[in-house]
Amino acid sequence: MDKMIKHSEKELIALKQEINSMWQLVLSQLQKCKLAYLAGNVELAHEVVIREKSVNSFELSIDTGCENYMALFSPVAMDLRLIISLIKISTTLERIADFADGIARHVIEGNSMASEAMKEDLKVESMFDAVISMLSDSFVALESENTKISGKILQKDDEIDKLYEEGKQYLAEYIQKDPGKGQCVLDTFLTLRKIERIGDHCCNIVEEIVFYIDAKVLKHSKGRSASKKAESNGSEAGE
Amino acid sequence: MSKKLSQKIAFWTFRILGWFVVGILLWILGFIIYNGISVISWEFISQAPRDGMLKGGIFPAILGTFCLIVGSMLIAFPLGVMSAIYTNEYVRDGKVSRFIRMMTNNLGSIPSIIFGLFGMALFVRYLGWKGSILSGSFTLGLLVLPLVIRTTEEALRMVPDSLRVGSYALGASKLQTIRYVVLPTAFPNIITGLILSVGRVSGETAPILFTGAAYFLATLPSSIFDKFMALPYHLYVISTSGTDLEAARPIAYGTALVLITLVLIINFTASFIRRYFSKKHGAN
Amino acid sequence: MNIIEAKNIDFYYGDFQALKGVSLTVAKNSVTAFIGPSGCGKSTFLRLLNRMNDLIPDIKLSGECFINGENIYRKGIDVDVLRKKIGMVFQKPNPFPKSIFDNIAYGLRVNGERSKEFIRNRVEESLKGAALWEEVKDKLTHSAYDLSGGQQQRLCIARALAVKPDILLMDEPASALDPISTSKIEELIYNLKAEYTIVIVTHNMQQAARVSDTTGFFMLGELIEFSDTKKMFLNPDKEQTQNYITGRFG
Repeated sequence: MDKMIKHSEKELIALKQEINSMWQLVLSQLQKCKLAYLAGNVELAHEVVIREKSVNSFELSIDTGCENYMALFSPVAMDLRLIISLIKISTTLERIADFADGIARHVIEGNSMASEAMKEDLKVESMFDAVISMLSDSFVALESENTKISGKILQKDDEIDKLYEEGKQYLAEYIQKDPGKGQCVLDTFLTLRKIERIGDHCCNIVEEIVFYIDAKVLKHSKGRSASKKAESNGSEAGE
Repeated sequence: MSKKLSQKIAFWTFRILGWFVVGILLWILGFIIYNGISVISWEFISQAPRDGMLKGGIFPAILGTFCLIVGSMLIAFPLGVMSAIYTNEYVRDGKVSRFIRMMTNNLGSIPSIIFGLFGMALFVRYLGWKGSILSGSFTLGLLVLPLVIRTTEEALRMVPDSLRVGSYALGASKLQTIRYVVLPTAFPNIITGLILSVGRVSGETAPILFTGAAYFLATLPSSIFDKFMALPYHLYVISTSGTDLEAARPIAYGTALVLITLVLIINFTASFIRRYFSKKHGAN
Repeated sequence: MNIIEAKNIDFYYGDFQALKGVSLTVAKNSVTAFIGPSGCGKSTFLRLLNRMNDLIPDIKLSGECFINGENIYRKGIDVDVLRKKIGMVFQKPNPFPKSIFDNIAYGLRVNGERSKEFIRNRVEESLKGAALWEEVKDKLTHSAYDLSGGQQQRLCIARALAVKPDILLMDEPASALDPISTSKIEELIYNLKAEYTIVIVTHNMQQAARVSDTTGFFMLGELIEFSDTKKMFLNPDKEQTQNYITGRFG
């Protein structure tokens, strides 16, 4: 009897499994989005747009699962933190997938894509790689219930922010040199902006994981992202 | 007078009165033992009286009392237990059970000499059993019937209803529930009540006066239709009539000692059995 | 398939109407919980399912109640047979003052089972079913009163399982137990629904939420709401239900 897993625990395990599948799906969306953008692969971009629907349904089903769990089992302590984190993480994952979907749609439209050289100069691939590794590392953190790597993940966001700032600078200069490319520059900037936002969302996920495992609130804390928050809030209007 | 002082006086009064009861019992016991111990011997217990009851023992009286105990219990036990089961388990109408209970109590308050008279009229005369162990047993059986009924009912009422309900819920009938759950659970208390009524039977004189107790018998009774001797009556006889009352006095005290020892043994057995069974079945 | 079907049941204790027009159905192999304030009629309803209310004098019932398609209040029904098919577990553990083995064997013996082999197997099977076997297998001859409260209650569940009922009624089965024992009983209830249909009355709303598939809310003798447990605790239809389960009652 004592060794048996209680049925309430089984429900939690099922919820965790669901968020794992959602995570994998969003990761693969990001990876496909990266390939589609870098290679201008419209077919792959279509795939991303189509799969976006199943990301949405994952979010709905995890929300329902969490609501039911709270209603039926009135969780406390670690279980309560897990449920709260899961609700927020699923919403955040859905947002990330939304950005991927937006980039994919841009690839499908195709007429104002950045040139290969511009992509090279902007280090778009590095930015993509950075957010993908943030997302997959934070998945590992949740899976292994280990928050030691959270600092490393959060650091990556600073790298992305730096790349983003450099890219902004580059594009501002570019448009002065070649005003005819205005549409292309704007669209490319929006793409950079989306990737940067994905990085921010990954930070939020890490914060939720830390809240669940260590019961610590990193959000809005000193020493981390205080300056960055102000900055991203300032550019919020651009969205 | 202060509250503390009045409390002190009150509790000291209660304490003295409480121990007073113990004192009386010890006094009686001491008195009987002091006067009676000299005649107690194996011969006294195992032989018949001789020489106008001034010599020999009281064996026929012990045997007679024993027969009366067994006989009256054979009558009172089944009758009493069944009657108690009826009123406590079967009668659903409160009025009926109250009526039966009232009548049982009335029967219990009838003086024992009246039982004697009734026994003489019914068993000795009408049924023609003459003065015999049978008549005496029946009379004593009727006498203790209310006691048996009351203690049995008490024992049945102490069985928690949850056990009955638990048994019904498994598909057991009412009779099965009573037989396999209620009676076994109530058993220790029923036995206790029974043993207490044995004590009562062994001490009664009046009911057997008219129903077969003999002044003196040369031979032991050979069947239940024979007359008998009994300890309480024997005691009465040798202390009130005889050729030499003074010489018979030690024998009277000896008889009293045997009787009182018998009753005490029975009472101790009762409390031992109660404790043994309640330990075996745990609390409740 | 519906194993219990109650139609418009009114129930009276003397002049007091304890149930007012209660109708509901219970599906096979499900757990149904009844909640509500004290004296709302939930226990009365539970007890009419195995006709335990018959033991109380001066009761009156109208309406129909079918179990396995049979009207259990029709004339000439054998109540003992009915109760064998509908086990019951009570608020306070009520083991008989017998050994653990004899407690479980009791239901079989009163129902005419004589084979010792059969009884022994069934006792083991029932104790395993009630998750008690490992704890008592070496002391089957000990008195049932030697067990702890939680174990006694699981013994009572095993006792009910031994006669292989279709339905198991539970009247606040964990209200007299500590939290650990309660959680064991709840886990047991959840697992037992694979083989039995369970109807449970509880004062503890969280317990109803944890163990049941369907929940009924009684108030003042009426079945106010009867629906899926998830729905009941997330989005109840009736305001009264909302007020009761959120504790804003009265």
